[in-house]
Amino acid sequence: MKSVILKEISKVIIPFIQIFGVYVIFHGHLSPGGGFAGGTIIGASFILYRIVFGMEYAQKKFKYEILMPILCFSIMLYGILKGYSFITGGSHLNFPQPPLGTSGDILSGGFLLPLNILVGTIVAIVIYFLYSLFDKGEI
Amino acid sequence: MEALLTNYYEACSMILFGVGFAVLLLHSNLIKKIIGMNIMDTAIFLFFIAKGYIEKREAPIIVDVYKGVDAYINPVPSSLMLTGIVVAVSTTAFALALTVKLHEEYGTIELDEIMKMKGD
Amino acid sequence: MIIKSFPLVTILVLFISAFIMPLIKDGKLVKTISLASMFLGLILSLTTAFYVIKYGKFYYRIGHFSAPMGIEFYIGNIEAVMGILFTFVSLMIIWYSVYSIDREIISSKISLYYLLINILIGSLLGVIFTNDLFNAFVFIEVGTLASCGIIVVKDKKDNIKATLKYLIMSCLGSGLVLMGIAFIYSITGQLNITFIHKELLSVYHQYPRAILISLSLFTVGLGVKSAMFPLHTWLPDAHSSAPSSSSAILSALVLKAFVLLLIKVLYRAFGMDIITEFPVLNIILILGSVGMIMGSVFAIFQRQIKRVIAYSSVAQMGYVFLGIGLGTDLGVAIAVFHMVGHAVTKSALFLAVGAMIEKTGSKELKGLRGIGKEMPATSALFLLGALSMVGIPVLPGFASKWNLALASIEVDKILIIGIILVSSLLNAVYYFPIIINGFFGEENLKDKIYKSKSKPIKELLPIFCLIFAMIYAGFSSGSIINFIKNGIV
Repeated sequence: MKSVILKEISKVIIPFIQIFGVYVIFHGHLSPGGGFAGGTIIGASFILYRIVFGMEYAQKKFKYEILMPILCFSIMLYGILKGYSFITGGSHLNFPQPPLGTSGDILSGGFLLPLNILVGTIVAIVIYFLYSLFDKGEI
Repeated sequence: MEALLTNYYEACSMILFGVGFAVLLLHSNLIKKIIGMNIMDTAIFLFFIAKGYIEKREAPIIVDVYKGVDAYINPVPSSLMLTGIVVAVSTTAFALALTVKLHEEYGTIELDEIMKMKGD
Repeated sequence: MIIKSFPLVTILVLFISAFIMPLIKDGKLVKTISLASMFLGLILSLTTAFYVIKYGKFYYRIGHFSAPMGIEFYIGNIEAVMGILFTFVSLMIIWYSVYSIDREIISSKISLYYLLINILIGSLLGVIFTNDLFNAFVFIEVGTLASCGIIVVKDKKDNIKATLKYLIMSCLGSGLVLMGIAFIYSITGQLNITFIHKELLSVYHQYPRAILISLSLFTVGLGVKSAMFPLHTWLPDAHSSAPSSSSAILSALVLKAFVLLLIKVLYRAFGMDIITEFPVLNIILILGSVGMIMGSVFAIFQRQIKRVIAYSSVAQMGYVFLGIGLGTDLGVAIAVFHMVGHAVTKSALFLAVGAMIEKTGSKELKGLRGIGKEMPATSALFLLGALSMVGIPVLPGFASKWNLALASIEVDKILIIGIILVSSLLNAVYYFPIIINGFFGEENLKDKIYKSKSKPIKELLPIFCLIFAMIYAGFSSGSIINFIKNGIV
């Protein structure tokens, strides 16, 4: 299955898939999509790389020691941002908040954009980990 | 009978739920049980999302100008079911990982034969 | 007021501290982080409870949107008591597991184990505190996945089979609960429990069949997850094959949070006026009483000691369902008090049995003969726990059975007193042989050396604290029951 046609075409296609995934994540508060859908698309591109090029190349590019700390810090940062928003709202404190914004702009909508980006990275890494766990029994 | 035909979304989702439940209980192959669980979850999502539709209104996306509250359908059920779909995906992934481990230990994935091989 | 945000801070601290653990390779640092976060949670729960005793119940909105659009937490008497119970019991269990977990799972999975325990306790606290139905569903799902994780972390054949059965039945239950939420949303259009109650009072005449369907879906769905009688088949395998601290958490805490959600839905979202028109409460009553008797009957025939205690859990959850099914304020208060008493007692029993199995190396009842001479302290703790299960006065088991009898006289169902007596006798039939074979009998005690296998006192301290808490709960049962009774609505 590791034919030359597959390798050459996927070298061209995989960056386009990732750009489309980033587009879906960034426009999550304006059009359908958001963190989960965009993250799944980027994760699918990682899986395609691993299927076409084999386990050794994929383990060199996506190392466990780099992906796991990114995952843990993203989840903790997500928790801290959400906690900040919940507690300042619930206790009626008046700490600074990001602007609520206008419709149609990307950099608007309060906390929605950073949270979408974090969710996108988390979902992409988790889907890649699940596939590599099934494939060879290790990451 | 007419009530069933006018609410065909809900009737179809009930039939799908029954099909998924029957597959979950009656087949003994583990992969088929997981497929049945997925069909059941999908039927529940169809039921909930169909509750949000109001006739002759469009999807809740602001294209050029905001048309007021009465021009869009109810967006709450769709966003609630997004969480449900993520949960169903992770449960399926966990169950499939357990099935792979079970196959390594016992050598078969038919539930009848695993129940007979007790002990060891 | 910053004190009002403490329940939310507890849940956030548990979740955020859970995800530091996979990055740390050192086992002792992981255990320290877990103990510290749970201790912080206990202090925050105690402060919240003092606030509730002084000022009364309060609502706390999350974020910047108030109900019905946003999510809110409702902290009343019941929730404060359950918050203290959950954090205290899990602190004791984590303290015990610090010493015993190294012998049960391989060392590369220890950080994963403590991550799963933190997530599980965080989501159970979320189910208790929340006032919004869909928020409760999300926390139910997270709790289910985490509790499957702590069983399968041990990696033996029995564990994988038991986890698969638990996962599939639990997913079935969550699907039914989601369908019940869909029916309620389609009738009322709200998801917040107090607003659902207001809407239902005005529209329930027009939709009798939809309310009946949604009530039965909730009962069956939450009954699968909390071991109501015919739906309990996953429980013996799952609780007996897990590592000893996991089975203590599962049996003492996980079942209780889902029953509390059922109480909230039945008595706050629907309310007493609507429920009494449907036969749901009678069905819960019948299933609870059958469960009480059949659970004990199954326990008599088991050969492994952990399966005996697991079937005993089924029987004790029957008491809770009996209390719910009676339909009076006193009945619900007794159900919640029995949950409190059973949590401390059953966790102490499971931890003591775990210590015995670890030292003698056998899981069968025959291998535990003469254990009283070899491990006197552990066997004494097991004896106290078993006495509470049977119903000796002064201990909490007696208080809940006495008050259940009083409550059933109030509603004129005298037959229930007979069922309570029969099940107490059946409890004695399977607990007392273990104790008698452990302490007395000549052929049991010969060539056993005194204190040969006992554990050092510092490892048994958590079980001592749990038994002290049980005796305290037994002494002050009257005041606790009154406190709970004022907080139902």
